[in-house]
Amino acid sequence: MRARPDVSVVVIAYNDERRLPRAVGSALGQSLGGVEVVVVDDASTDGTGDVAERLAAEHPGRVRAERLPVNSGGCGRPRNVGVERSSGRYVMFLDSDDLLDRHACLNLLSAAEETGADLVSGLCARVHLDRGSGRVRPWYPWLYERRAVYGSLRDNPDMLYDTLSTNKAYRRGFLEGRGLRFVERLHYEDLLFTAEAYLAADRTAVIPHRVYNWLVERREGAQSISNRRAELANFADRLEIHRRIDGLFAERGAGELKLAKDAKFVNHDLLLYLRELRNRDPEYRDGFLDLAAGYLAELDPRVYEAANPMPAIAAYLVREGDREGALAAAEYGRGRRPEIRAALAERGGRIYWGGARPLEPVGRRVLDVTGFGFHRRPLAELRPANTVTELEARGRRARVAGRVLNPLGRVAEGAELRGTVEFYDRRRPSRSGAVRADVAHEGDRLAWSADLDPARRIRPLGFADPVWDLRVRISADGQEMVTRPSEGPESPGLDGVVLPVRPRLTRLAGDGLRSYVTEAGHVAFRLEGRRPLSRLAQAAVHRAARSRAGRSAWRRVRRARHTARRALTSRGTKVMLFNRVLTRLPVRTGSVVFESHLGTRYADNPKYIHRELRRSGRPVRAIWSYAASPKGFPKDAELVRRGSWAYYLALARAEFWIDNQGFPDGLRKRRATTYLQTWHGSAFKPMGYDQQHLKEGAEGERARLRRMVDRYDCFLVRSDHDVGTLARGLGVRSELLAAGYPRNDPLVNGVDGDPELAAEVDELRRTLRLGDDGRRAVLYAPTFRRGPDGRPVRETQVPIDPERFARELGRDLVLLVRPHYLCGADLPPSARCAIRDVGAVPDVTPLLLIADALITDHSSIMFDYALLDRPMLFHLPDEEAFGTGYFDLTAHAPGPITRTEGELVTALSRLEADAPAHAARRRAFVARFGEHDRGTAARTIVDRYFPERPARGHGRAAGGRRRARDGGTESRRTGRARTP
Amino acid sequence: MPEPRDVFIVCNNIDGMGGLQRWARHIAGLFAARGHRVTLVGVTRAPEPHPYEPDGSFTEVVLHDEWRPPALAWRAGTLRKRLNVAARGRDLWRTAGVRRGAGRLSELFARAEPGAVVIVAQVWAMEWVRSADTTGLKVVGMSHESYAASRSSSRHRRVKEHFTGADRFLALTAEDADAWARAGMTNADHMPNPLHVAPGFLAPGSVTPGAAAPLGSPVVASVGRLSREKGNELLLEAWERADARHRGWSLHVYGGGPQEDELRAQADAAGIAGSVEFRGVTSDVEAALTGASVFALPSRAEGFPMSVLESMAFGLPTVAFDCAPGVRELLDDGETGLLVRPGDTAAFAAALDRLVDDAELRRRMGAAARGSVQRFRPDRVLDRWERLFSLLHSDVPPQRSPAGGEAEASRIARPVQ
Repeated sequence: MRARPDVSVVVIAYNDERRLPRAVGSALGQSLGGVEVVVVDDASTDGTGDVAERLAAEHPGRVRAERLPVNSGGCGRPRNVGVERSSGRYVMFLDSDDLLDRHACLNLLSAAEETGADLVSGLCARVHLDRGSGRVRPWYPWLYERRAVYGSLRDNPDMLYDTLSTNKAYRRGFLEGRGLRFVERLHYEDLLFTAEAYLAADRTAVIPHRVYNWLVERREGAQSISNRRAELANFADRLEIHRRIDGLFAERGAGELKLAKDAKFVNHDLLLYLRELRNRDPEYRDGFLDLAAGYLAELDPRVYEAANPMPAIAAYLVREGDREGALAAAEYGRGRRPEIRAALAERGGRIYWGGARPLEPVGRRVLDVTGFGFHRRPLAELRPANTVTELEARGRRARVAGRVLNPLGRVAEGAELRGTVEFYDRRRPSRSGAVRADVAHEGDRLAWSADLDPARRIRPLGFADPVWDLRVRISADGQEMVTRPSEGPESPGLDGVVLPVRPRLTRLAGDGLRSYVTEAGHVAFRLEGRRPLSRLAQAAVHRAARSRAGRSAWRRVRRARHTARRALTSRGTKVMLFNRVLTRLPVRTGSVVFESHLGTRYADNPKYIHRELRRSGRPVRAIWSYAASPKGFPKDAELVRRGSWAYYLALARAEFWIDNQGFPDGLRKRRATTYLQTWHGSAFKPMGYDQQHLKEGAEGERARLRRMVDRYDCFLVRSDHDVGTLARGLGVRSELLAAGYPRNDPLVNGVDGDPELAAEVDELRRTLRLGDDGRRAVLYAPTFRRGPDGRPVRETQVPIDPERFARELGRDLVLLVRPHYLCGADLPPSARCAIRDVGAVPDVTPLLLIADALITDHSSIMFDYALLDRPMLFHLPDEEAFGTGYFDLTAHAPGPITRTEGELVTALSRLEADAPAHAARRRAFVARFGEHDRGTAARTIVDRYFPERPARGHGRAAGGRRRARDGGTESRRTGRARTP
Repeated sequence: MPEPRDVFIVCNNIDGMGGLQRWARHIAGLFAARGHRVTLVGVTRAPEPHPYEPDGSFTEVVLHDEWRPPALAWRAGTLRKRLNVAARGRDLWRTAGVRRGAGRLSELFARAEPGAVVIVAQVWAMEWVRSADTTGLKVVGMSHESYAASRSSSRHRRVKEHFTGADRFLALTAEDADAWARAGMTNADHMPNPLHVAPGFLAPGSVTPGAAAPLGSPVVASVGRLSREKGNELLLEAWERADARHRGWSLHVYGGGPQEDELRAQADAAGIAGSVEFRGVTSDVEAALTGASVFALPSRAEGFPMSVLESMAFGLPTVAFDCAPGVRELLDDGETGLLVRPGDTAAFAAALDRLVDDAELRRRMGAAARGSVQRFRPDRVLDRWERLFSLLHSDVPPQRSPAGGEAEASRIARPVQ
């Protein structure tokens, strides 16, 4: 028997003489030695066949050329012929316009030999040649994360997503033994071939290596087959292929696989076509939807549950004939910020897509979009569709108007509405021209309109900013949402309206912004010049910018600008200047920088210290740091954004730093500044160096912690427990001040002596709609936890099914859900009557005050709430997931421990009855963990660091610090002695 | 027997005292024993050479007796760096040095017969091989650490820069190779280190030690350098928590290194000094391991830990942090050892206690480990190497006669169906 080559690569070509040598070259240049190439020319009309024969002559024994006598019109026939004419032990396919990776054959062959697989598949990458420097998009990379062997398709039905035949090697005996051939005279032959191959293979292997480069060139005119989706026949072919695959699955009795394939059809194939439908003519649209609805009607209705939610909705609505709803669903999820283009309806406590229509059970399940959280997410996260109804230019004035969906009536009738219309440079969205817009409710939508003088409001630079986009900001009662005006059924012609503008650079760059509709349906404008001279200038600039020199110059300019900006505004620069320059400025006596949870809120210990300072009338200059928005921070304080120059300046010149988590790493605290670290809770979970990730991690992490902790001048503790756990774990070497937590003063004292806090609590009760029906409030505050994959769980689940809670406990209790501040709560609208999301309440102390009972797990909130001597429940369904704590919670918990939903419901229904039984344990718990919380913490701290003086002067601060060093009656020097 | 080849193994140095040099000398000897003509090349000499016994079966070459130019090529990122004339000068000096060394390599390679292979064990050495003339040879690059370890150092960039053009790039485990493949190294594959035990210990014709540890003595052993990445302080922390020390068991820590004093102080402070013995560097790994019943590997980072290979060969059950793919590859959690979450010293202590408490479990895991380590027997690993060589050097079978080819082509020109 003749020895066979290891691998044969079948290269098919049709009228591609230019690129064929490159493809063949990639097969000949393999790191695997024994590769044979068979070129099959599908009766090209150009010189492809001759090129193939020339290649064969140049590489005798390694390249063979075959010619089909008649063009087959597809890829199936040439590939079949190639397989017949080749002799390698393994067969691969390559299209003449693509490239194999240099190691593709070796990787696939060794995987096949190691695993004994019939079929080995590697990663395919789409390389976009036309977009700059070859952007690469891997094709279904999640299938190719790591090497794997599957016994059959049932082991991983997701393989059906990869329907390419080219990124694979097939054992010849397998192809021949199973009679696998490509179907001819139909497009999408790959889909059927790969489905058959996956199904027939006894063993399929995948490798994460990129093996195939699918080169994508956007060209006018001739598109490759797979991109010619515009033709209806093409879609008909795809459906025919799918029907054949269905037949194949039916024949093999593979019902579950068929479901997986159907789901893939809905998630991938259908979505691809639907998203293009907006730009097609009506005739095509109708024909397409008929074909699709016909095929979808044949599918098992379970597919709507197997597919992803939005594609399932699109498919369901196609079947139901709701074209607009279907398109809206298909387009949702496109782009970074999905737009809501369909009406939403709330019925029976659930949210449905596509408006209020009577629904059958399947529809109710499929169209339920409660999980997307449209009813609870802040307006800023919603992107309701905005349809332009007017776009006109009259002389020097222009008028633009439209309507915005108001999903679920989230913008209330009486809300104070404001709007702006903004034109912005696509390359630098911060450069914009804005005008005020009138906004008003109009039925179930918001109508907006604006008149403007474009030449005055929009000032393009010229040449550098050729495209301008449009956005409309609408704010309702201070909550803002951003929308993109787009084309809709009510729109007039949106193409070709020219707004007169005057570019800053030169009028040669253009004199008008001409409107057009983008592929996604949004309105945008192009800067254009109508005079011949400016056309010439634009063409010249365009050509210059596209030339090699132009591109490289442009790149240099951009890079230089980027570097300059980074150098001027980066954290590193600011820190460096902070340490070298800012901290040499004189200290501003009496200035205090407060920060709570890295600036995210006005809350916790720093807040209560600040309030005490204010109450006692101490002459300090309070500066609060805020992370994103100054909303909710006190009006009488100076506010600085965290990370801004003002922030660093304030820190550099402050006499006191008061914070509960940590000021930025790298800042060297000057000696004249006193840093009071209050921390944000006693510890149950390991802290600092006791954390597993710090033990495991690199030295840098530990050094960073040490740097941050060594800046403290004083660290608040609530008990000896804190000294032995928190302070020790963090490695605190400063003084430990046993004053208790200022935030807990009201928990000990009550609110009676504090009208400000009493008002805050009343206001909170009002906004939470509590207190008029005698129902008691139960706070559920779980800690942060990680999922099985080690990632944080972002959606906090309520431990009791909301409907069950409403039914069984709703008459007596209201549940306040407080997710960890890094998480959100997933509550359906049906839970509204009995459950409230209190995640957005900045300060937890008022919440504790209004809660009549607490459910928690390992959260440090237990140590604070215990001071109130009210019932506490510990719900620990999966304790192992938390890891070990500093003590045995089951032995010391000051309340019942529940493990299941049922136990929790029972415990909640017996709150009153059980409370006395745990009273002694609660007291012991407080004595152990909150011994210093006596309601005087804020006063102790203020008296100590801000002593009252007869006159204002420079000596005060120094006096305060001297006292701190001496150690007052309340403090103990325990730090260094206790840490190893 | 496969055809003999010229095999060049190129390392940064071949006379240092490290795991890599041990590996290089071991594999060179193994290749030579199969009849290959092996040359072991060190780019430079080690700062502190170790007096290895000369092994007559392979040749040793050192390119530079002393390497004084900068270790790494100069990367002029910013404009200011680009204007640094002194650095530029040093880089030119360096380039000239590399070129001189590469010239010597080219001479070596030119004498090789067809079918020769260059194995570049470290990325630094690859710069010399890249500059040398490797026409007709196949170049195989290697990374002797986990992907994560490379990722957190400059080696990630250098591996991608220098090894992308190699015919093959070998990581230690399949998991590491996959990570490299995801990072774009399409030539990534994996090659385990062969089982290595002290010379003279192997019975003739056998590949595993003759005797397993009796597992009778109440001793937990760890072997490794006393440096931070080996995590010895975590082991002491776990030992402090473990019940085992109260029941007459002791911990034997073999090895030396910069952390030694610190560790002794830690043991004293924790009050466990009575049950911990620091036994220093040992040349007799056999005695160390056969005298113990449990092996502990508290490392924070590992490649393909040789010490675990050895402990498995002696039939010891191992407790280790699940810190690298190499550890997972060797130890099957619950079967041949116990793996715990990195840094979780409480779990490490619990795992030690579990083995200490249960003699039967120790025996079962030890026996399973001894069986499992057979996967890395030298002959198996060598077979894998030889298979790679032959794939790289394979060629299409001799062509058919031109006449036959033409006849076939004309037949194909007719419709096939």
